[in-house]
Amino acid sequence: MKAIKLLALLGLASTLMASAAGAKEWKAIRFGMDASYAPFESVDPSGKIVGFEVDYANALCERMKVTCTFQNQDWDGIIPALLAGKFDVIFSSMNITDERKKKVMFSDMYYATPIVFAGQSANKSDDVSPAALKGKTIGTQSSTIHANFLEAFYKDSNIKLYPTQDEPNLDLASGRIDYVVGDGLVEADFFEKKGNGCCRVISEIKRVPGIHGPGVGAAMRPEDTDLRDMFNKAIAEVDADGTYKKIEAKYFKQDIRGKQLTN
Amino acid sequence: MNGFSLLFGPEGWGGLLLEGAIVTILLAVTTVPFGFGSGLALAVLKLSPNRVVRAFCEGFTTFFRGIPDLLSLFIVYFGLQALIDRASKLAGLSSAIELNAFFAGVIALSVVVAAYSSEVWVAALNAVPKGQSEAAHSLGLDSRKTFFLVLLPQLIRIALPGLGNIWMVLLKDTSLISTLAVIDLLRAASEASKNTTRPILFYSAAAAIYLVFSILSGLVQSNLERRANRGFA
Amino acid sequence: MLQTLYAEAADLFNFEMMSRYGWRLIDGLWITAQVVTISVTLGFLLAYPVCLARMSRNRVLSAAAVSYVTFFRGTPLLCQLYLVYYGAGEIRPLLTDLGVWWLFREAFVCCIFAFSLNTAAYQAEIMRGALASVSKGQIEAAAALGLSKFRISRHIVWPQAFIVALRPFGNELIAMIKSSALAAIVTLLDLMGQTRFIFARTFDFLIYVYAAIIYLVIVEIIRRVWGLIERSCSRHLIAATPATHSRGQDESRISRAGRHGLSHGGSPQSQGA
Repeated sequence: MKAIKLLALLGLASTLMASAAGAKEWKAIRFGMDASYAPFESVDPSGKIVGFEVDYANALCERMKVTCTFQNQDWDGIIPALLAGKFDVIFSSMNITDERKKKVMFSDMYYATPIVFAGQSANKSDDVSPAALKGKTIGTQSSTIHANFLEAFYKDSNIKLYPTQDEPNLDLASGRIDYVVGDGLVEADFFEKKGNGCCRVISEIKRVPGIHGPGVGAAMRPEDTDLRDMFNKAIAEVDADGTYKKIEAKYFKQDIRGKQLTN
Repeated sequence: MNGFSLLFGPEGWGGLLLEGAIVTILLAVTTVPFGFGSGLALAVLKLSPNRVVRAFCEGFTTFFRGIPDLLSLFIVYFGLQALIDRASKLAGLSSAIELNAFFAGVIALSVVVAAYSSEVWVAALNAVPKGQSEAAHSLGLDSRKTFFLVLLPQLIRIALPGLGNIWMVLLKDTSLISTLAVIDLLRAASEASKNTTRPILFYSAAAAIYLVFSILSGLVQSNLERRANRGFA
Repeated sequence: MLQTLYAEAADLFNFEMMSRYGWRLIDGLWITAQVVTISVTLGFLLAYPVCLARMSRNRVLSAAAVSYVTFFRGTPLLCQLYLVYYGAGEIRPLLTDLGVWWLFREAFVCCIFAFSLNTAAYQAEIMRGALASVSKGQIEAAAALGLSKFRISRHIVWPQAFIVALRPFGNELIAMIKSSALAAIVTLLDLMGQTRFIFARTFDFLIYVYAAIIYLVIVEIIRRVWGLIERSCSRHLIAATPATHSRGQDESRISRAGRHGLSHGGSPQSQGA
């Protein structure tokens, strides 16, 4: 019996892997990302998370003089995981919305991209009004601004929610669904990868203030105000010294900084 | 790109699949001592004379055997963290202990495996005749020695087929961890198929690797059973 | 202190969440029921030919059946489901030519397709084990009495095999209910899917506990009902051999661990081990 107890204790000790979260000087920051959102963040063949937001985060970390690590976390669980202390920052194209502000605290906005409707290339109609899409199947990632947007305005359409944005894209390409709502640059990236011109961006969606918010920010636990201040300072610095432009140019042809859309 | 270079080329995803396969095996192997160990502990407690202990253990088993494994994993994964947070707050710790995804997965799988295997252990405990421990006692062995030298070897022999089945369950249940963002074999295949839009290629490759694991496990299991049954016609 | 306790309790049951989203769980439960019933039935119909093929003397047939069973029992159901769901999307032109794309377009159908193929593999093994458990001597005796092949199988083999197979079939049904939760991962809003949906809205982890309780209740009901059926079908056996109803035996009835298990199910020989 003693041995069993010992075994159980041993199990407890080795599995808990106690690592104290938040030694409050912030020498190391852990980033949580849903790495299924190329070109912003995705997993490369070596298993590493790569993309615009990884490069950008590294630039910020250099400014903040901290070491940074990146963790993959599914979108549905990303806010609970942040609150549970599994990492310190959500840096994953999370749009700043009032609904999310109830749970987390955001840094300043660091990019804003167009939100679009995409459909099959064979679909020649550019009308994406709720009336035109009545009875059509529209897919997007769950727990996103896109899901909230569809649920608010497209009540007569069949809305399908997926764990990641890659999945509705695959289903759009295969014709399982008729439309996808998502980030314009993410959609463009997917269509390029898919090749054969399966799909096209149909039209841009105007941001609805109460649903979409102004753009993307880093999300943190509400009590970590010192961390937010560090981020805001670093964001401004990386803007000022031209690093942002350099990273942006590596991934995009267009400007995504979106300063004009401040809160 | 053709399938071969997508898998084995310099930009291919074969490496990630292989790493994922290693993670899958590590998950399963790390779970075995905890899962089977706590299963045995549960089984012993289920045969305890204390009614409360017995009821608690039965309840635990019924609960985790009655709900989907996917749900068990979610409950343990998110619930355990909440529990630890609350406990550390109560204990007055300033910073919470944090579980990494791999070990959270191991704990979650261990809970499921413990619930399943406790049934096998109970059956095994019942199958070892009482006379064995009585004989051991009368030979002057204390209860610890009786358990480890006399009972456990027989228990393992009897429980082996059942535990083997649970190992197979475990091997396949590791794939559920892929939904928690641990890059195991199935998750690696998912990443590859999303990035290349070639799901059939990568999911088939993953299935083939799982199949190899299962077949190898089957061989190891029958070998073990043969060894354990030496001397029993 | 009392107030904290009260707050804790209000927190625990979160009635607000349930009044807002409770109907979603009912909806999900209905989808789960459909998926499970259809899959298990189709699986049963498919399992019989697989079982016959497996026991056939034709080498090609039996090898095909063995491969089928090995594949579906040796790989994770989630992997099979992905293969069907996203694989069907990839070969859409082919499926369109075959005129079945409209079926595979639906997540519901893909789930049923994958689950049926999977459970058929398990059920085929259950049938094989049950049929093999009927001793050769009985068949020979019946043949010696001049009974036709059909009558032997109808009156001698099947009634006995049925009793042996009953318990593993019940376990398979329960296993299927539990694994149907995977359907949520490919967008189907079954009980698990709705649970995830609600969790994504509320971040209240308790919704998982509610879902767990629902699954638990269903599984327990089926287990109890199955126990009654089994008892009434095997009254004559129990009366004759009361000794077999020991605790160990009773436990093994429910110990088939999950669907993925390479079974107690079906090989009753191994149960006594």
